[in-house]
Amino acid sequence: MASGRTWHDRHFGYLFVLPATLMLAAVLVFPAFMTLKLSLTPEGGKGWTFTLSHYQKAFRDPVLLQTFKNTFVFVAWSLAGHLTVGLALALALNQALPGQTFFRLVALIPWTIPDVVAGIIYRWVLNPIHGCLNPLIQMVFPAFPAEFQWLSSPTLAFPSLIFANVWRGYPLVMVMLLAGLMAIPRDLYEAAEVDGAGRFKRFIHVTIPGLRTIIIIALALDMVWEFRRFALVLTMTGGGPGTLTEVLSTLVYKTYFQFFTFEYASAMAILMSAVLFILSLPYIFLVGRER
Amino acid sequence: MNIRVPGTVMRERRLEATISYTLLALSAAFALFPVMWMLSTSLKSEAEALSLPIRWIPQSPTFDAYVEMWTLKPFGIYFWNSTIVSGLTALLSTALGALAGYGFSRFQFRGRTSLLAFFLATQMISGVLVIGPYFQLLAAVELYNTLTGLIIAYVTICLPFAAWMSKGYFDSIPKELDESGLVDGASRFQIFCRIVMPIAVPGTVSTLLFGFLLAWQDLLWALCLISIDEKRTVTLGVAFTVGEFIIKWPMLTAASLIGSLPTIILYLFLQRFYVEGLARGAVKG
Repeated sequence: MASGRTWHDRHFGYLFVLPATLMLAAVLVFPAFMTLKLSLTPEGGKGWTFTLSHYQKAFRDPVLLQTFKNTFVFVAWSLAGHLTVGLALALALNQALPGQTFFRLVALIPWTIPDVVAGIIYRWVLNPIHGCLNPLIQMVFPAFPAEFQWLSSPTLAFPSLIFANVWRGYPLVMVMLLAGLMAIPRDLYEAAEVDGAGRFKRFIHVTIPGLRTIIIIALALDMVWEFRRFALVLTMTGGGPGTLTEVLSTLVYKTYFQFFTFEYASAMAILMSAVLFILSLPYIFLVGRER
Repeated sequence: MNIRVPGTVMRERRLEATISYTLLALSAAFALFPVMWMLSTSLKSEAEALSLPIRWIPQSPTFDAYVEMWTLKPFGIYFWNSTIVSGLTALLSTALGALAGYGFSRFQFRGRTSLLAFFLATQMISGVLVIGPYFQLLAAVELYNTLTGLIIAYVTICLPFAAWMSKGYFDSIPKELDESGLVDGASRFQIFCRIVMPIAVPGTVSTLLFGFLLAWQDLLWALCLISIDEKRTVTLGVAFTVGEFIIKWPMLTAASLIGSLPTIILYLFLQRFYVEGLARGAVKG
């Protein structure tokens, strides 16, 4: 009975996974190869003639190099912000205090706002004349310049954007860490207390090791998301002033859909994906090893 | 041994609670402040929104902006489009993802492990890497500027998550159920539809929610695949309103708030399932 059934089972296994596999191949994998091919095609060229000129151009393009740097800075500060705010709130929310549910729901609000809307909110909050941040700062520091232009400032536009992204993104890290905290067995804390460990020691020796894996996973997933962040940047700063807040996804989008230099945009997209892949290798190995 | 006076413990607890509450109150202000400013603006007349010095709370609250967004701008159509796209994305990605998840969970076919890794790897693909050629493909089959082209893209993006999530769920359902179905002479597909899937319904909440929210919140795909007004989604409509020469802030903030409302409500009601699913999916890889 076994051999006939096994063949049958295999057969059906393919049928079940076929629709999803075909869609992934058609919508994501095939276009990814088209992009790769296009990135090697001479500008306006057709068929199978290849060139590396777009990549040579890319390595000498100051705007692209600046944008790579911007993206790294954007991702690094966003992750740092998400982890700091997320961990602090996860710890505060893990104490079964009265009113905890209310605070948890409120802390989740920024996560529920679409990126487009988050960008618009911050544009309006930071509006130099009619926004509310400048008056608020002036209430505390009367010397603060009136009509301060946050998003046109070469020094402060980028920090403003990162601030908005920290606001938008910390809840996801927070809930993952909260789930991690809840999974730490109570008796570990009790055992540490019996051994004479104080609060701080218990945090260092029980909480942090217990959260280690989930922190790495949360940061790895967050890195992939922040590396690709698009709508927030586009609606809040549009990459400006100049190209000072441009990130890779907005640059590729503009090069392809606004400047119509398809081949060069493809080369940039390939480089972007290659870097993201390299950055996520440690995570892939980690997950592979733990399975 | 560590013996402590009860009073010290009490004081320590109180200090901890005070720190926590301060932190929570600050974070609540941090989280809500921008949203409240938006709410306040949406309830102002245009003149009041631009009056100086700024008013924190509207002096004469009005719903004009909420009326304008439906009459001056076709936000009704945008909402309808977003609802169709998000609803179908949720249903289709959950159904196709469950099918694949069942296949991965129940059958030891050749190449299964590689295919699972492939599903995982496609999650790393950036939208901007594939959207140009996808746009060309859609144009070739005359699906450019259609909601169908948009839905196909969103469903595909959701599939790896949906497949992994439902595989995890199916793994927790005993295989003996399938066996008993086989003994009763049911086909593999009948077993999936009539026996296993009904039990797995609670597990679909997180994939439904994932699909709906992804489609509702996306801008990139809608921006590149839709160029005509009557096919725009809410996020696209809002994004275009902010790009206009003169921004009507009360109307824009009203539209933004209403546009966020479905996702806010869904998240707050269903966050428990979502978070559990996400944590489980993440831990499992």
